[in-house]
Amino acid sequence: MTQTPSFRDVEQLSAYLDGQLKPSEIARLESRLQADPALASVLKDLRQARGILRQLPQRRAPRNFTLTPKMVGLKPPLPRTYPVFRFATVLATLLLFFTFATNFMAPRLVRTAAPFPYGVGGYGGGGGGEPELSMEAAPEEPAAPALEAPAAKEPAIEEPAAPALPVPAPTEMAPSADDSARIEPTLGPSEKSGVQGAPTGEPFAQQAEPDQALQTQPPKPLVSVTLQLVLVGIAILSGLIALILRYTAIRKWRAKAK
Amino acid sequence: MYEPALINEAQRGDLDSFNTLVLTYQDILFNTALRIMGDEDSAADATQEAFLSAFRAIKSYRGGSFKAWLMRTVTNACYDELRRLKRRPTTPLEPETDDGEEMETPRWLADPSMSPEEETEADDLEHAIQHCLDELPLEFRTVVVLTDIQGMDYKEAASAVRVPLGTIKSRLTRARLRLRECLQGFWELLPAAFRLEGESLRT
Repeated sequence: MTQTPSFRDVEQLSAYLDGQLKPSEIARLESRLQADPALASVLKDLRQARGILRQLPQRRAPRNFTLTPKMVGLKPPLPRTYPVFRFATVLATLLLFFTFATNFMAPRLVRTAAPFPYGVGGYGGGGGGEPELSMEAAPEEPAAPALEAPAAKEPAIEEPAAPALPVPAPTEMAPSADDSARIEPTLGPSEKSGVQGAPTGEPFAQQAEPDQALQTQPPKPLVSVTLQLVLVGIAILSGLIALILRYTAIRKWRAKAK
Repeated sequence: MYEPALINEAQRGDLDSFNTLVLTYQDILFNTALRIMGDEDSAADATQEAFLSAFRAIKSYRGGSFKAWLMRTVTNACYDELRRLKRRPTTPLEPETDDGEEMETPRWLADPSMSPEEETEADDLEHAIQHCLDELPLEFRTVVVLTDIQGMDYKEAASAVRVPLGTIKSRLTRARLRLRECLQGFWELLPAAFRLEGESLRT
């Protein structure tokens, strides 16, 4: 009986060609092949296709595909001391920056802490915003007290109607127009000293003393220069040692690879 | 040096031992890649990538056929390369003839023992077979390359492409049938033995 072979039959034939069938399957298939020419024809087709594929020439590789240490990302074995020196360099550098930052910030912190009690005292309700101005004015213009007298007079010259200085009783200065006249000069950027200059008299005199004291004494750095120099030395020295260690290790490794 | 010893050394990170293995297997891997990719430059790229991956992953090799293990890396590299080429298609920089057509395969790769006529015939047949291989779906092509061209058995092929044995059998059958059909179009290029057999089948 001859009929078109099923895919299962073709699969069996393909496996038969490659010697992948069990002996019992081989015997059964061979008997079918003898009886079924269509099956035998398919087997020949498959054998032919396989034979043609095997005709393909094997090419030589166009180049060597060997790997280099660089390709596989291999790194030279560095000495055990290398990370120690590297860490020392990083640590010393960080500490050095920290000391610079500390020395830079310290005088500012000291000065900003000092004017607070004096700046707040003068203006009652308006004092909320004023200390900030006085904080800025203190370090930038240490000579402010010297200029306070003329600065204080300016509002009086511009607006003679506002008797800011001569008024003896500060409690009577309630009208809002007067307030604005007094606050304006204090908020003006060119009149920072006016904040301190407006309340002439004792409070101003008290404020002048600590400022002058700060000005006459040069700020003393919190971290000594010697320590900074030591840190610089450690950073440079350990960095150099680390570099030399690395360089020698790489040279040795490359020489060995060659 | 004995292969298992080389593998052992390579697993410990010894590049020289691995390179010895590379020299042993580079032709097989390149040919596999060439038949899957159908292009020499891409095949070379895939082969290089396969060896690189193999070195990085060699610690995961747990015995068995080292060839099959390498074949897995090269088929994976080919799949990756094909995906990459699909994303960024390139034009081949093959030398052109006077007519502006691309030249055939570089002659220096051909077998020097062949006469010019034989070379031309072999080139034509090779191109015909490669054309038919390229027509196959990638999974079929890989299986047929591994078994019929590289001579791996079903078990090795299954291990290389990580599919069950039955799938290998089925894919191989389908691939052979399709190839047979495709090669009918290049009848005049087939060697005499195949032609005679085919003619007897046709009658």
